[in-house]
Amino acid sequence: MMEVSPSTVSFREFGCEQTLLSRPDGSASFVQGDTSVMAGVYGPAEVKVSKEIYDRATLEVLVHPKVGLPGVRERSQEQCVRETCEASLLLSLHPRSSLTLILQVLHDDGSLLSCCLNAACMALMDAGLSMSCLFCGVTCAISTDGEIITDPTAAQEKESRALMTFAIDSKERRVMMSSTKGSFSVHELQQCITVSQKASEKIFQFYRDSVRRRYSKNL
Amino acid sequence: MAAGFKTAEPLEYHRSFLKENCRPDGRELSEFRTTTLNIGSISTADGSALVKMGNTTIICGIKAELANPTAEAPGKGYIVPNVDLPPLCSSRFRPGPPGEQAQAASQFIADVIESSEVIKTEDLCIDRGKLCWVLYCDIMCLDYDGNILDACIIALLAALKNTQLAEVVVNKETSVPEVDLEKRQRLHIHKHPVGASFCVFDDSILIVDPTAEEESLSTAHLTVVTDEEDRLCSVHKPGGTPLSGEKLQECINRATTRQREIHKLIDKVLDSVKTSQ
Amino acid sequence: MKDTPLANCERDFLLKAIEEKKRLDGRQTYDYRKIKITFGTDYGCCFVDLGQTRVMAQVSCELVAPKESRPNEGIMFFNLELSPMASPAFEQGRQSELSVKLNRQLERCLRNSKCIDTESLCVVSGEKGWQIRVDVHTLNNDGNLMDAASVAAISALCHFRHPDVGIQGEEITVYSPEERDPIPLSIYHMPISVSFAFFQQGTYLLVDPCEREERVMDGLLMIAMNKHREICSIQSSGGIMLLKEQVMRCSKIASVKVSEITELINRALLNDKTARKAGGRCGFAESMPQERITALKMGQRSVEMTDVSETASSIVQTAEAPLQTVPSPLVPVPGVGQVGEGLCNAWGLEEEEEENEDGESSGGDSVAGVTKMEDEQHKDDKSRKVDVVEILDSDEEEEEVVILYPETTKKAKLMRRGQENDSEDGFEEEVSENEDDMEHIQTKKKQIEKSSDDDNDHAKISVTLMSKNGNSSWFLSPPENQGRPLAENGFRMTPPIKYATSWTDDN
Repeated sequence: MMEVSPSTVSFREFGCEQTLLSRPDGSASFVQGDTSVMAGVYGPAEVKVSKEIYDRATLEVLVHPKVGLPGVRERSQEQCVRETCEASLLLSLHPRSSLTLILQVLHDDGSLLSCCLNAACMALMDAGLSMSCLFCGVTCAISTDGEIITDPTAAQEKESRALMTFAIDSKERRVMMSSTKGSFSVHELQQCITVSQKASEKIFQFYRDSVRRRYSKNL
Repeated sequence: MAAGFKTAEPLEYHRSFLKENCRPDGRELSEFRTTTLNIGSISTADGSALVKMGNTTIICGIKAELANPTAEAPGKGYIVPNVDLPPLCSSRFRPGPPGEQAQAASQFIADVIESSEVIKTEDLCIDRGKLCWVLYCDIMCLDYDGNILDACIIALLAALKNTQLAEVVVNKETSVPEVDLEKRQRLHIHKHPVGASFCVFDDSILIVDPTAEEESLSTAHLTVVTDEEDRLCSVHKPGGTPLSGEKLQECINRATTRQREIHKLIDKVLDSVKTSQ
Repeated sequence: MKDTPLANCERDFLLKAIEEKKRLDGRQTYDYRKIKITFGTDYGCCFVDLGQTRVMAQVSCELVAPKESRPNEGIMFFNLELSPMASPAFEQGRQSELSVKLNRQLERCLRNSKCIDTESLCVVSGEKGWQIRVDVHTLNNDGNLMDAASVAAISALCHFRHPDVGIQGEEITVYSPEERDPIPLSIYHMPISVSFAFFQQGTYLLVDPCEREERVMDGLLMIAMNKHREICSIQSSGGIMLLKEQVMRCSKIASVKVSEITELINRALLNDKTARKAGGRCGFAESMPQERITALKMGQRSVEMTDVSETASSIVQTAEAPLQTVPSPLVPVPGVGQVGEGLCNAWGLEEEEEENEDGESSGGDSVAGVTKMEDEQHKDDKSRKVDVVEILDSDEEEEEVVILYPETTKKAKLMRRGQENDSEDGFEEEVSENEDDMEHIQTKKKQIEKSSDDDNDHAKISVTLMSKNGNSSWFLSPPENQGRPLAENGFRMTPPIKYATSWTDDN
């Protein structure tokens, strides 16, 4: 039976800045340790006829890697982020319009996908879009000796036997998105899900704190 | 009447079936479509398989080529999977460079190969740092009716099991590789990953092996890949409505049964091919 | 997405303000906006803020074969991305005029000025050299992207270090940063671009135009210069005529600005160096403003970990265990197998197939529970059958459907067509020599008669093929074509596409 030791289950320092770009309607940069992602949201705005959906807004997500052009890996990340955002945003409030979310990787030091999700959620909040729930990303790694590590660094990711990223919703703490690498047992998966659900509390608390701080002064 | 209802209110149409715990094509919620497998369909390829799940048809051809290993991994060969969704298979796909779905599927297949270690890339090395095999796994959809990921994995696995590599001897004096096409050896398959896909309807109802129509109406997709040791190789859920841990567990257990079913199928078909030769 | 258009009154207001020597943000004519240079955690990563304009540059390297025309030199590659994040007018994956212009100017500024010693990038002459790639990402466009990009690119190049290499005989080893300290690039001088915007046919001039000013300007002059007052590139765009004196004056202003900016870059580089030496944390995470109300930071947090294992176990245990026994698959012919039989597909062939399966094995009992729903589905299928038949457009009155055993492929139908051309009486074909197969065909015929009774309009005729060779039985082909592989007959395999290649949408 695998035990979860408390020393490895912690988050690196994390922070976020909202409204840091002047052009987008909503923007945020999310930092987890050294990993950082910047997100910008445009919309709801006019949509291309070819992409128009008659009963809801079209959401487009673009992930820009730091080096080179977006490739197949980025496409798969885009799909994960887009479908997570689509499930939480109330897109039917803006039929026949477009929303664009751009994620720019500023530095990758592990847990990139979860950082992308967190940045995306903060940017959507900043843009003032209506959402049915918030979401956050948590990455768990299982090291070779079976320990669960949350929010792993790039070095820890490389050494790990399996890597899982979950998006957790704020309403019932259920799994919105799951993306895994490596092979693992059912028990390990369930443990990681439970850990992520607990870890998500911290991030949602952070969301709450940052919003409270932001609106603490009346302008 | 039913046809009109189906066209006008597709979601309501499906709901009325799901209420009765069945689906428009007569399946139960946790029932897969008929899965037919043919191994060795392409005689010019080194390994091939054709899979039909209901109407979804996927063909996989494997071409082995000699190449130089990369500087980072001199003792390894590599596997290049590519999923093609041509306009032939459905009107939803356009000609031109692969769309997001095809790219995401390619990435998924690559992840499954890497995570499950179906083939150890070390096995593909012929001469360390000099020569190795590259397996180009071209997976093509001939008819798109939902759940291509499951079909792709079955086709890939069956094709890999069918693949025979020629013996290569590197001439020590000229250091030119000599290929002996007569002597062929099967690939060593370490694991048998098999996927099971699910769709979530109305945020609560789980259905297995969705058709294209069900896929487009559902609110979330989930693919679970397991191997014969009941280890999970991938739990891929690209967003959509949230699921609880308990629901996921249900899916995993269904996937485990499916793995056994398909593993048996592949083995049996492969045996029949071997005996007939 | 289109950019918000500029209203006429806005335009008039801007121009009037410029005439009165006033700028929107309160700057003087020759003032630059505030420049902030930050370095990332990686070597060769640089963020530049020019007022609200924001760009990021990242330098990376790779060992490649040098160009044949210059075997003793490394390769420099510049790429400026107009990311849609910077402005809604920028589109992903489309080469706009602006993007071409900026890329070209950046290349002229940094490559053609020979500010980097490319010969030092050579590892083995004619065989291996470093390719230095500079990616400039625009994050926010508030005008004057070019100046910000040039500052970011040159700062990133100055900051960058590539790994050390060792050559023993023919082996080239790349040392990790832990083994040997990485090497900085050798940079001769630092060209920096300075932009001048002209208004009213060159009557008014502004340094460092912001986005609003760029929209109403008549022409733009970009001068790239180093601190030794050497002009590296000069470009005028917008089609305005400039006097010699104007260009001279601009170059004088540029020289002042360039020396100021160079000083700033050097100071930023020095700061970063001392910070790195002191072992302190550096990079983007550290540069996040703490005092802003929109920013928040949280220290390392541990996660409550009680009863995780128990919860996980209980979930695993409470769920219904997977079945241990699975139905045995059906292998009707060598090379073909099937699980989960008894379900129809929309290719209009389920009836014959089901009966056939009953004949083949006793495992086809799942068909028994056909519901009313399914009957409805069957009706749908029948109507579809008519469609299938019409496609065949045969001259005969009786339309045909050819069945491949155990399931059919569309390809077979197409081939069937070709076959009809070969032999006019494509009605009763005895391709198979096997006696068992003959029996099958006989039973099929009976079915056909029966079904034609039911359905007088569309008689269906099916031929089942079975042969000893499992592989060839899958595809129905005319006798002379027997054994021709599908790859030649049916479709062409696409050349393998390496999965790592990137695609851009060309819409």
